[in-house]
Amino acid sequence: MPIIEIKGLSKSFDGRKVLDNISLNVEKGDIYGVLGLSGAGKSTLVRCINGLEKVDEGEIYYKGELLTSPTTIIKRDKQRKIAMIFQQFNLLQQRNVLGNVEFALEISKIKDKKVRRQKALEALKRVGLEDKIYSYPSQLSGGQQQRVAIARALVLEPEVLLSDEATSALDPETTSSILSLLQELNRELRLTIIMISHQIDAIEQICTKVAIIDSSKIVEQGEMNDVFLSPKSKVTKGLIYTNHVNTALDSDKFIRLLFDGNVDEPLIANIVQDCSILVSIVYASTKVIDNKVYGQTVIKRPTQEKEAQKLIKYLQMHKIKFEEVNK
Amino acid sequence: MDFQTFMLGLGETIGMTVISTFLAYIVGLPLGVLLNITSKTGIKPNRYINISLGILVNILRSIPCLLLIIILIPLNSSIFGRATGRWFTMIIPLFFASFAYVARVVEQSLSEVDYGEVEAAKSMGASSFQIIVKVMLRESVPSLILGGAVTMVTLLGYTSFAFDFGAGGLISQAYSVYRSNPVNYLQKKEIWIILVLIVVVVQVIQEIGLVSAKKIDKRKKLK
Repeated sequence: MPIIEIKGLSKSFDGRKVLDNISLNVEKGDIYGVLGLSGAGKSTLVRCINGLEKVDEGEIYYKGELLTSPTTIIKRDKQRKIAMIFQQFNLLQQRNVLGNVEFALEISKIKDKKVRRQKALEALKRVGLEDKIYSYPSQLSGGQQQRVAIARALVLEPEVLLSDEATSALDPETTSSILSLLQELNRELRLTIIMISHQIDAIEQICTKVAIIDSSKIVEQGEMNDVFLSPKSKVTKGLIYTNHVNTALDSDKFIRLLFDGNVDEPLIANIVQDCSILVSIVYASTKVIDNKVYGQTVIKRPTQEKEAQKLIKYLQMHKIKFEEVNK
Repeated sequence: MDFQTFMLGLGETIGMTVISTFLAYIVGLPLGVLLNITSKTGIKPNRYINISLGILVNILRSIPCLLLIIILIPLNSSIFGRATGRWFTMIIPLFFASFAYVARVVEQSLSEVDYGEVEAAKSMGASSFQIIVKVMLRESVPSLILGGAVTMVTLLGYTSFAFDFGAGGLISQAYSVYRSNPVNYLQKKEIWIILVLIVVVVQVIQEIGLVSAKKIDKRKKLK
């Protein structure tokens, strides 16, 4: 049973549809990325899951139980099982780090001060901030503030963590460390994470599944490597690689070679040697998904049709995944 | 006038100011919270409550203080047995003249709280009451203190109307100095002592407000 199941969710603001018939299943232990350009409606999607927005149509289920629908308001105890972190951290400015984490426990009516303190300290230790507990948010860096926010989310022992552009206000290095922390929490606590981002790099780094949202609709979803290595929709392709390819080469045709898990063969060198074709590489990248290395190389399609056919035959013969790309 | 008379006048002025400010906050604070949370962007939007409260507050704020004192004479006599003549008879008129103002000041302070903090609390399943107390009010304490100091200074100004009703205070004393020496009252040192005392009181109120607000505000970068 999926831990979060979204069925036919729609939402409009002032007559403008921001989510249109969205259906999505998130399994326990997933790190589910939701990728899309700004304004595509992805933030609204997580806000609906947590009850910060009401839904217009459709239902959201949590472990098979109805969480929210146009006529059902999310229950507070369920809300606490679905924690959330934000782009701007949203910490209480007048409370110190410890106070911010304890705040979550105060709200959930944990009366015993000692218990609150102990739980807060544990959560802060987990995010590596045990030496900053008496600092105030204004004294912390962005990355540290997001760690406090993560501790505050964790302290209620949630099953799902919603991350709304949590790394978008951070520099690349800090982003990376926050993402590693999320991955660690996912592995050690079996914490399900739904991660909204417009940064493909962030999604790429830790997500196991991904949904691409474009103009209020899901255009593609599935396992990370399937979607990223063979994107089908135009938006996904755009997001994933065409922005890497020099736009000056607009009229040209390309061939995209895919390697999944096996990058031991010196493929390009072999092509040059065996087919006597000089290939020019316009883009190449590797990604590590689930500890397997995936790579792609976009090369220019030889302009002479004879050479192109030779190359394609060679690729087919050696069972190398590829596709022809017309920009 | 001797030292004791000044001190009595000072005490009356401060008494009127502090007690009426306190009362004004008892009503004005909840009213300000209500105005804020029922507004379009508040946590419990309610157009009808917001508009009707807004109208009430605006009407009260547009009545000149002196007119209010006159209108409230019957109410005052029914509470104190007398309408005028003693410093405490000013408290109720000053309260009526100021709680609507306080409501606006509080509403303003609360609106400065980052809505993201409210949303974070909401996402943790906080009740509206918890959000109001633990987020909105708690986070705006520095701003509320500043607003309190401003309100107190405004009310101190309003205490000058006390002289119309023989209700005492420093400003009444200044007026009586003028009445007994209409030609050369500015040569009387009493006038200047009163002036200095008032300026000092206002400065003290403002400084206390400013310094304590700064001191407890954790938003600044501490070094």
